[in-house]
Amino acid sequence: MIGTPIVELDTPVLLVDLDALEHNIGVIARHYSGRDSGRDSGRDSGRDSGGDAGRAIRLRPHGKNHKAPEILEMQVAAGGTVGGVCAAKVSEAEVFVDAGAGNVLIANQVVDPAKIRRLVALAGRVETTVAVDSGEQVALLARGAESSGTPLGVVIEVDTMMGRAGVRSVEQAVTLARRVVATPGLRFRVVMSHQVPRGPGDRAGRFSEGGRYIELALAAKRAIEDAGIDVDIVSTGESWTYDVAATYPEVTEIEGGTYVFMEVPYAYMREFRFALRVMGRVVARPDARTAIGDVPIDAIGAPNGLPTLEGPDGVTVTGIDHHGVVLSGNADLPFDVGDPFFLLTHQQDVTVNRWDRFVGVREGRVEKIIEAPARGCVH
Amino acid sequence: MQRPIATPLGTPIEALDTPALLVDTARLDAAIVAVQGPARAAVWVHGTPAIARLQTAHPGVSGIAVRSVAEAEVFAAAGFADIRILRPLVTERARSRAAALADTARLVFEDDLPVWGGDALAGAVGVSTRVTSVPEPGRAITDCGQKAVGRDFGDPVVAGHPEWRAHAGSAEHGVVLFDPAERALEIGDWLRFVPSDAATVFSLHDQACAVRDGVLEAVWPVSARGAF
Repeated sequence: MIGTPIVELDTPVLLVDLDALEHNIGVIARHYSGRDSGRDSGRDSGRDSGGDAGRAIRLRPHGKNHKAPEILEMQVAAGGTVGGVCAAKVSEAEVFVDAGAGNVLIANQVVDPAKIRRLVALAGRVETTVAVDSGEQVALLARGAESSGTPLGVVIEVDTMMGRAGVRSVEQAVTLARRVVATPGLRFRVVMSHQVPRGPGDRAGRFSEGGRYIELALAAKRAIEDAGIDVDIVSTGESWTYDVAATYPEVTEIEGGTYVFMEVPYAYMREFRFALRVMGRVVARPDARTAIGDVPIDAIGAPNGLPTLEGPDGVTVTGIDHHGVVLSGNADLPFDVGDPFFLLTHQQDVTVNRWDRFVGVREGRVEKIIEAPARGCVH
Repeated sequence: MQRPIATPLGTPIEALDTPALLVDTARLDAAIVAVQGPARAAVWVHGTPAIARLQTAHPGVSGIAVRSVAEAEVFAAAGFADIRILRPLVTERARSRAAALADTARLVFEDDLPVWGGDALAGAVGVSTRVTSVPEPGRAITDCGQKAVGRDFGDPVVAGHPEWRAHAGSAEHGVVLFDPAERALEIGDWLRFVPSDAATVFSLHDQACAVRDGVLEAVWPVSARGAF
């Protein structure tokens, strides 16, 4: 398969444009390595504890976005990372640690005793941190960790806008921080928050909206410090605020993943390129203005609207179901049966989660296959 | 691939690692018995040879229907010998892959029998989930989001609780909104989501947990998952 022109591949197929992938990885790596940011890059590891002064912000690559240890390795090798990974689930974290990730933050709550046993086992292998938002979770983690010699790191999740998990006030954050500090077997590491943009996608909009969310997380961090508790990790911000977060010296890391492939709703961030496409083929032309393609909805996922056809002008995706995708236009479509087409996703992690591997392409040919062994790790 | 914590047959469904794709075999049996033949079983809906075997054991069902050559390859390897491929084969490569199957299966490309579709699974499919956070009264966060229950055709509902509103608004989390005055959900509580679309759920899981009388009866590989 290596060297095959992409137009000869069996379809549908998940393609990753290696030039664009490397470009995207390089954007944040350079920004956080201090080479094109005004911020002092500070120490190398980003994992040192101590004061904020001169300390660099780091990227914690989110494994949920690519599910592929090979891509994590590319991110870490490019620089500016924590040398480890962020994971949504314990089983996902295990895949990356098995493949050599140096440390892991599970940006989620883990409450079931069997999963906590696996989490504690992970902490015996690499530095492991998990998020909490209530005293009950702290008690469950403490029970699981009590017989192990290795402390389990704990961050307090702060809800800044998602309405999902996370403490809802600075007071709650301080109370919970005191409880974690007083609990044997756990090591307090401060705060974490997630955000998705709602406002305008221009630079000014990103800075004002993103900055507002980051300030909410920092308010919790400062209140915890004022209570006399040392800080270690302040993780807030993600792909869409990577440059916003870098202007806050107290932020130690962001959890970024979308940027490696990008997705249609973030197209306004022009420093990144689309690296992910599902290639399909036209299998029927029921009439002049309509073509049917072989990409079923379960091969791309469409929880937030239809995928986007990448060119030609005047042709759009007008429907998708389990059998295929409908391409429509006002004029005679420039497609014959058998012709390839390319779809862009509106939510890249949901697309990636349908495929066991990526076909890496450069200059129109297959260069390598990238396995995604963490695909489906929802446990 | 998925790495759930393995549990032996006979495990109560509440003790299976969450989120788990659950198939209620009593309901599945009832749906299969109700089929009016002759028909082909649309096995692309579940991609699961064990379910296809139950369907094709029905006297009114002859053969199966799949979407792609790749799915046909999986089912031919699992021993199915009469396979209709629904999608037109438009490349030489696809046609030669199909031709290579001719020794093991009879392939059909024309409309011959009615294709018996997704209602085969009606009411039989669920995804188990556990509450991981109750960050404010009336709102529970669970460990089952779009990556485990799907949202391409809408949000799930919570089995047995039509009064609660569930949504899989995030890739990794489910949200259940409830009236705390009625009954408060707590961290660790177990729920069963009923998905909006069964085929979507099977496209997300490597295995299905067959359950009967509330315990694990069998683990079925979703062998054709990802064979687009």
